[in-house]
Amino acid sequence: MATNTQTIKDTVKNYLMTEFLPGEDPNDLTDTTPLVTGGILDSISTFKLVGFLHSKFDVKLNANEIANHLNTLNDITDIVQAKQGVA
Amino acid sequence: MDFNLSEEQQSLREEIIRFARKELNEGVIERDRAQYFPHDLWMKCGEMGLQGLPVPVEYGGSGLDPLTTAIAMEALGYGCEDGGLTFAIAAHLLACVVPVWKHGSEAQKKRYLPGLCNGGLIAVNGITEAASGSDVFSMATTAMATDTGYMLNGSKTFSSNGPVADLALIYASTDAEKGYRGGISAFLVEKNTPGYRSGQRFEKMGLRTCSIGELVLEDVQVPADAMLGEIGTAAVIFAESMAWERICLVACHVGTMERLLEQAINYARTRKTGGQPIGKMQAISHRIADMKIRLEATRLLVYRAASRLGDSWEIDLDAAIAKIHASEALVKTAMDTMQILGGYGFMVDYGVERVLRDAMASTIYSGTSEVQRNIIGRWLGL
Ligand SMILES: Cc1cc2nc3c(=O)[nH]c(=O)nc-3n(C[C@H](O)[C@H](O)[C@H](O)COP(=O)(O)OP(=O)(O)OC[C@H]3O[C@@H](n4cnc5c(N)ncnc54)[C@H](O)[C@@H]3O)c2cc1C
Repeated sequence: MATNTQTIKDTVKNYLMTEFLPGEDPNDLTDTTPLVTGGILDSISTFKLVGFLHSKFDVKLNANEIANHLNTLNDITDIVQAKQGVA
Repeated sequence: MDFNLSEEQQSLREEIIRFARKELNEGVIERDRAQYFPHDLWMKCGEMGLQGLPVPVEYGGSGLDPLTTAIAMEALGYGCEDGGLTFAIAAHLLACVVPVWKHGSEAQKKRYLPGLCNGGLIAVNGITEAASGSDVFSMATTAMATDTGYMLNGSKTFSSNGPVADLALIYASTDAEKGYRGGISAFLVEKNTPGYRSGQRFEKMGLRTCSIGELVLEDVQVPADAMLGEIGTAAVIFAESMAWERICLVACHVGTMERLLEQAINYARTRKTGGQPIGKMQAISHRIADMKIRLEATRLLVYRAASRLGDSWEIDLDAAIAKIHASEALVKTAMDTMQILGGYGFMVDYGVERVLRDAMASTIYSGTSEVQRNIIGRWLGL
């Protein structure tokens, strides 16, 4: 079932804060904070995030999407919505 | 979860064990000593379908699901005493054939998979470099776009099957700044491509019947359609192949451990000291009991991970756990068997020293034990 933009963003942000940024200020993680190029996600955590998106939103990302569409919260929200058919 | 083997799985297991015992074991000591890769046996394994177990039938494979693939690999590890050959098949299948099957274009699958599955083609996976092993995505090999495709330059090391391979799956940087995220691409390079050659062949402690060496790429021009998957997606292709390898390659270890366990039990029941079999001594029977516990625990971890391969969002975690447990269990079991066999275990004819030498590599290849622990730690939020 399709999930709305804000719900996706909040869920993913909450996940990123809990998993990868414990103790950090949530205000520092904006919609456009670079996650991969900014060093928040490395290869292991990227695959962990991919697994989370699969389990939470029932979306399976292909190799291209994993490589190129996970750098910001906005990117992630867009790709989840696109995969859910709401783009 | 029910891991009782179905009738089909049971008969496949028996068939592979029978085949391996009959066809693959003779002369293994001499081959190991000579570091000789048995191409004729490789072809026989191809006839048995071992190099294409999970690949769909339409491309020449056997179309097995991942769990049945693991069960087949376990049977090979049990029946085949040539650990180098088993490893060569596993490396070919899991790190090369699986990526071509999963990410190849229709043309690539039609061109390569039938030969890769029937033994006609041998494949090598080239990602590790002299200066980047665990830190694998910091590779120096580059692929520069040209008018007609890509120009590859660099070198790879520790490449299993490299010296005998017909087809190389080469990972190269197409965008150094992006690194693992969108900057690594994979290419299929045929052995006769100008500028590509197999470099130094290594002498090794174990797995000596599997040829391992360097791959050299000097201005290797490949067409655009030699790329596997899309540009920049190879980190994902590689990660997926490692999940397969960390689960289905170590399934072979389960079979090997079972063989060692049986060897240890047989020896402990018949070897006497002080008028009674050594197995009656608690020091020996407890060691063997621990071997049994290790075997069953490893089998469950491998079966569970294999049954989730392709579905589970936690597969990288499952694979790391299965890999580390199976490889460390194999080393320990080989050492225990040697201890139980006493001086005979140290002698080449008994085969245990070879298994131990082969086993020592298992905590290094497919990502070291330290790297697997890093992965598990990260999954636990550390
Ligand atoms: C038998 C065999 C077959 C192989 N086959 C292939 C093949 O077919 N294709 C291929 O591309 N490669 C292959 N390899 C290479 C293999 O994947 C690498 O050897 C392995 O990834 C380790 O890299 P390295 O040897 O450069 O060690 P390094 O990465 O230099 O590691 C050295 C030591 O430091 C530790 N270490 C490194 N980084 C960390 C870290 N971040 N945290 C904790 N500890 C760390 C390691 O665990 C290790 O103990 C093979 C290797 C072997 C032994």
